[in-house]
Amino acid sequence: MFRKKITVQNRLGLHARPSSLLVKLANKFRSDFHIRKEDMTINGKSIMGVMMLAAEYQSEIELIADGVDEDYLIEEVEKLFAEKFGED
Amino acid sequence: MKELSIKHFFDLCRQRFVLSIVTDPGSMDKKIIEPHIHRPGLALSGFFDRFPYQRIQLLGETEINYLQTLQDDILYDRLNEMMSMNIPCFMVSKGLSVPSQMEFIANEKNVPIIVSRLATEKLYWQLSRFMRDYFAPEQSLHGTLVEVFGVGILLAGRSGIGKSECALELVERKHRLITDDIVKLKLQEDKLYGMATKDIGHFMEIRGVGIIDVERMFGIEAIRKECKIDIQVELMPWRENMDYERIGLTNQHTELLGINIPTIYLPISPGKNVSVIIEVIAMNHILKTYGYDGAEAMQRKLAEEMQQKTRMRTISGNLQEN
Repeated sequence: MFRKKITVQNRLGLHARPSSLLVKLANKFRSDFHIRKEDMTINGKSIMGVMMLAAEYQSEIELIADGVDEDYLIEEVEKLFAEKFGED
Repeated sequence: MKELSIKHFFDLCRQRFVLSIVTDPGSMDKKIIEPHIHRPGLALSGFFDRFPYQRIQLLGETEINYLQTLQDDILYDRLNEMMSMNIPCFMVSKGLSVPSQMEFIANEKNVPIIVSRLATEKLYWQLSRFMRDYFAPEQSLHGTLVEVFGVGILLAGRSGIGKSECALELVERKHRLITDDIVKLKLQEDKLYGMATKDIGHFMEIRGVGIIDVERMFGIEAIRKECKIDIQVELMPWRENMDYERIGLTNQHTELLGINIPTIYLPISPGKNVSVIIEVIAMNHILKTYGYDGAEAMQRKLAEEMQQKTRMRTISGNLQEN
């Protein structure tokens, strides 16, 4: 199990397009992937779940990966967030 | 290039345009190779530069009256020059009779003169429309065409993927089959229409069963002869690393006869009910044409929520600083 807290960097938050990029990326890995925001935990490989988080700009979310490539998954997802999903 | 023989044209349009032929039937072997219609006013007055001789030459009351005012020798010269140019045919409107000299030259030069009882304007428009439809660009492709809730859906994908089986399920759900296996596409008034290549009925091959007759089996309400194509659905086997559409905010297209048709790439896997998904695709298309896009609506609601939360965050941040 690998956990990491990060902050949403892009101004528009996790809207449809970033969500789909995130889900597409997560689906390339074998590990289970969940995202927690406040008291809501969702499956990070499901688009509806990610969109339902409605994670806004500067909100804090926790990435939770569990499996053989968990650290690699988190690293890649973090990179995607740091790049602000190619926005701003 | 497509062509239409006068004989075939005459047979097809005899009733619609109330046609009769003035010249010898032997002249009917000529061929029309262009869909346009020309009114040869200038040529009749002796101006032959850039005269579009390969078009149907339509004579109305004005042209016929003009011919009648001409002196015999001039009339002969003009018509002789015109008919030496391999004109496909003359069409005369309003059931008017042509000067006897014209009939004589036409028979000599083997140019058919066809008389219609329709008024000139009406004949012109209806004839243009008929010609445009007849000469419309065509293409055939491998696929199955069904109409679901009034939306024309072209099912594509490789052989054996289950297009026919999907169509059969849709027919059973009271939708309609246009054609299976080969679809003839035709461009009409900037819209794409699909139909069967041959009008032999609605037969379909189901693997393991053989050929079935859909019309006999499901009744007349299960079939249609042609319909407008609105969406293409490409059935494809499920693959692990393929990017399938998850949200539906981006639209993909396939170009068919120069028209962009929205295309959906639909992964198939065992246990998936494709016909229900096809119904959903059709309904979603209707909603979109009526101006409602589900993906967009959800996106908007999420954006509102996030904006509000961002605002709250800035306010509380400012309060803490003070």
